[in-house]
Amino acid sequence: MRKCFKCSQKAQVYLPQHRLSLCKDHYLEWFDNRVEKTIKEFKMFKKEDKILVAVSGGKDSLSLWKALTNLGYQADGFYINLGIGEYSETSEKLTTKFSEKIGRPLYKISLKQEIMPIPEIKKHDSRPACSVCGMVKRYYMNKFAKDNGYKIIATGHNLDDEAAVLFSNTLNWSIKYLKRQYPVLPEEDGFIRKVKPLCKISEKESAMYAVLSGIEYIEEECPFSEGATSIDYKVFLSQLEEKSPGTKLRFYSEFLRKMYPILQKSEEKPVLKPCKICGEPSINEICSVCNLKLKLKKQEERV
Amino acid sequence: MDLKVKYRGQEKILNFDKDKVKAKDVLKALGLSKDFAFVVKNGEIVDENETITQNDEVRVINAISGGKIS
Ligand SMILES: [Zn+2]
Ligand SMILES: [Zn+2]
Repeated sequence: MRKCFKCSQKAQVYLPQHRLSLCKDHYLEWFDNRVEKTIKEFKMFKKEDKILVAVSGGKDSLSLWKALTNLGYQADGFYINLGIGEYSETSEKLTTKFSEKIGRPLYKISLKQEIMPIPEIKKHDSRPACSVCGMVKRYYMNKFAKDNGYKIIATGHNLDDEAAVLFSNTLNWSIKYLKRQYPVLPEEDGFIRKVKPLCKISEKESAMYAVLSGIEYIEEECPFSEGATSIDYKVFLSQLEEKSPGTKLRFYSEFLRKMYPILQKSEEKPVLKPCKICGEPSINEICSVCNLKLKLKKQEERV
Repeated sequence: MDLKVKYRGQEKILNFDKDKVKAKDVLKALGLSKDFAFVVKNGEIVDENETITQNDEVRVINAISGGKIS
């Protein structure tokens, strides 16, 4: 039987990459501390900052919201109902319930009202659902935060998400994306500061935190994420991790420490200007969301 | 034995030819790695070598998720 490193009670959690066994209470404490350390390491925000957490009803965003609240940060939730049938219904219900449980406000919008549900958009747009979804999420998050006086957006991206993206960007040598792969994206050109306080927390660690804190989260996968290549990369990296614990954390952390600074030295940044229609920052005259809206409108007129 | 497990919001019956298995056998039966999945037995997270019997309430958590975009 493994014993907790701190109190020698029976351990529930063993973290191979940190060679650490912990009981329930000490694990929850360890998790909060690790989030706090990450916030400080990357100078993400301070106690007096108002933070908007992007919540989806999944383990990562709810665990993040919980940890920030435990640590004494003023973190409110923002939820977008994507209109993906039962999946969206359940995730909205769980998110609402959770916000009541921790006593923090949750702001909700519905894509059905703003544009149209993802399954409908998907009929008119050939891009993968996940990329359309990511685009609209980024757009409404940024707009809502600005309109409501939030200076910081926090998302639940975990170590496995970041390592999988880093791996994919490295396979393709996508310098443009590698240059932006940092757990803090500064405020600039109409974009609000975005941070990822779970970037050094693995997916399993975040799920264990949710389970041990009694968070009810949506375990089902979004039906549209099926076959996402990011899962293949995650499975592959986890095979390496099993053989040699700590690989993912090293891959990601050492990129940030050694490679990221070098990439920053080469200058050439896209120029952003306000979208002609809505005023949100964009590379083109018209931003991608307004563009999508125009396209959908045109197609509807044709019907 | 037939073992009832809760997995991703659903109940599944796993079939083993022994009456006692280990948590890692349950993960293996579902094709999951211990790097991103774990077993909750009677409300507690357990080590991969923990014994599981038919009387245990078993929940398997698969932490891997896809489609997240920054
Ligand atoms: Zn302890
Ligand atoms: Zn626009």
